[in-house]
Amino acid sequence: MPTSDAGIRQVVIDWLDDNYHFGDAAEKIKDDEMSFIENGILDSLGFVQLILHLENTAKIKINRTELSRKNFDSMRKILDYVGSHPDFRPAA
Amino acid sequence: MSTVVPIFTPDAESVRRSQLTAFMAFCEAEAGARFGDPAAFHEWSVREFRRFWSLFLRWSGLIVEGNPEPVCLGDLCETAVFFPNLRLSYAENLLASGPGREDDRPALTALDETGRVLHLTRGELRREVIRVARGLRALGIGPGSRVAAIARNTEAPVIACLAATALGATWSSASPDLGTEAILNRFGPLSPALLFAHTHYPYQGIDRPLAERVREVAAGLPSLEAFVALDEGNGEEGGVGGLSSHTLDGLGRDSAPSDSEWTWPRVPFNHPLFVMFSSGTTGPPKCIMHGVGGTLVEHQKEQRLHSDFGPADALLFQTSCGWMMWNWQLSALACGTRIVLYDGSVTHPEEDALWRIVGRERVTVFGTSPPYLQFSHDSRIVPRESADLTALRAMQSTGSILFDRHYDWVQDNVKSLPLQSISGGTDIIGCFVLGNPNLPVYRGEAQCVSLAMGVSALAGENAPAGRGELVCSNPFPSRPVAFFGDPDGARFHAAYFAQNEGVWTHGDFIELTSRGSARIHGRSDGVLNIRGIRIGPAEIYQILTHVPEIAESMAIEQRREDEAGGCRLVLLVVLKAGLTLDRPLTLRIKKELKERGSAVHVPSVIAQVAELPTTHSNKRSERAARDAANGDPVTNAGALKNPASLDAIRDHAALR
Repeated sequence: MPTSDAGIRQVVIDWLDDNYHFGDAAEKIKDDEMSFIENGILDSLGFVQLILHLENTAKIKINRTELSRKNFDSMRKILDYVGSHPDFRPAA
Repeated sequence: MSTVVPIFTPDAESVRRSQLTAFMAFCEAEAGARFGDPAAFHEWSVREFRRFWSLFLRWSGLIVEGNPEPVCLGDLCETAVFFPNLRLSYAENLLASGPGREDDRPALTALDETGRVLHLTRGELRREVIRVARGLRALGIGPGSRVAAIARNTEAPVIACLAATALGATWSSASPDLGTEAILNRFGPLSPALLFAHTHYPYQGIDRPLAERVREVAAGLPSLEAFVALDEGNGEEGGVGGLSSHTLDGLGRDSAPSDSEWTWPRVPFNHPLFVMFSSGTTGPPKCIMHGVGGTLVEHQKEQRLHSDFGPADALLFQTSCGWMMWNWQLSALACGTRIVLYDGSVTHPEEDALWRIVGRERVTVFGTSPPYLQFSHDSRIVPRESADLTALRAMQSTGSILFDRHYDWVQDNVKSLPLQSISGGTDIIGCFVLGNPNLPVYRGEAQCVSLAMGVSALAGENAPAGRGELVCSNPFPSRPVAFFGDPDGARFHAAYFAQNEGVWTHGDFIELTSRGSARIHGRSDGVLNIRGIRIGPAEIYQILTHVPEIAESMAIEQRREDEAGGCRLVLLVVLKAGLTLDRPLTLRIKKELKERGSAVHVPSVIAQVAELPTTHSNKRSERAARDAANGDPVTNAGALKNPASLDAIRDHAALR
């Protein structure tokens, strides 16, 4: 279970590598602000799968009304959303 | 567990007005029989299948010439020949005008994710097909020619396909997301004379290049004599070195603009129309040849009787040109139905983009798949709130198993309508079980068995309780004409008739209910069905020869109800001595499969094992491995020389 920004980042990179980029995900994400959808990092079908994966691995319950690109469409947005989620337990 | 309470029941008026009701009345009058209920009609249609097809041909009004007798030569499903004295044209039947099919009525709408919308009336579509047919004829295309296409789902492949097949050529198509090797595995054995291709395609907001892959494919097809770019405009990037290169827009422009002098060449009923591909557990993909007449009458039966398609309908089936549902939806033109084509990401520019198109285009029948319904559910899309679905009257779903929850989701979030589970496949270019406008819908079930198909569940040692092998015992016209490149029919026999002599064995488990409905329970053989797309493990093994660390491998399906499509692809690998499957190797294996195959060829899980289940006759058993991974009893364990290999699979941490 990730307990830090670095941990969340690794969960995202690993998932993208497993499902879309097969070892090239870190290289393709040029910066944390880059839109995943607009830059072909993943498509919307995968977007939902990634969010469900984050729910399971970070043990957070994502409100379905917040399940939108504005919260998850870049590494920065994911780190901010998960890191500030009330269920998220950062390392002490 | 199904409930006996239907989730949808058609009203009496729609039953009274359905084409199925009209056809049953026609049969009653002609055959002097009374069919008390749908089961009795189905039983008659199987027992009297010659009478059924003869009457259906008359009732349907299809344009044919010659003698409709004999209806069927022979009584064996494997060798029977339907309508040997009839000739017809597929394109002519799809494009003819008539009552409800006037030339100024819309016939086709093509949309893509960039917002492009193109409408063609029946008259416009027919003129385009004739123009291109004239151009293709000038290039030497005619009976016996095989043409292949790598195409987006736009109007272009529809025009190209109808033009080529109008001349007696045989059509095969693949979607742009297929890798070069997978495309060549399919098209190569056909030695096509002409390749149609798009040279780029949009997906998820990005214009993706395709020209390089098209050049690689063309270079691997030495039989090619011409190339035709399907892109709009002049297609300058489409040039393929050394070949006569053309554009679809440019073909036949110098010929007479009028279609009045055009005569549709009619070919024998069993003349090959489409070659479809199906990969098994061994060998290259099978090249399945479907005949002109068999395809057309089967599709007409399914679409008019079972789906009630007519001129008031607009059909959008979510498909690519590489799936048989593309061919299937194309035939709906013969019902006077408008076909609505969509190309690109179904979630671009917004998650519910496809549902919005269904509403905007006044689609009456929306064809989709369980993975898309699952995605819509997971994304909390509520189509009835974001789209005007007043025109929508039915949904169809195929490709993988529809679970009960999908029926509830549609009722709650789309509208009250029949969600029809349809199942059959590429092998018969049609359905064994499907919808019925006169019957209720029960959760998780296809409404009925297809008319004139003697389908039963053959219980046996390999079948789980209450289920059986899906077999069809009587001749049917959409049985493939043959496999291409299988002159003595040995491969054809092995594929469908070796398991149960004399009857078609489909490779699915089926459960037939006392209500006449059916549930499909997945494959009974080693063929994979991942997210609704059928993959032969042999294709995966071929690609993995490019990974030198792998000694041998086995691809299986593992049930996972939480996954889109209800299962996931698992790859078991035995590595060369001393090697361990680490993450870099795992990712490299996946990358090879994606680049040389497609995204669907990529396993969800790769697990290293010491050995693969192998029979005493040294055949590897995908079925045993699959049963072990699913925690099911392994019915053929006694035939294995290394049954301990099953424990390793059953207990493997990665497979839990």
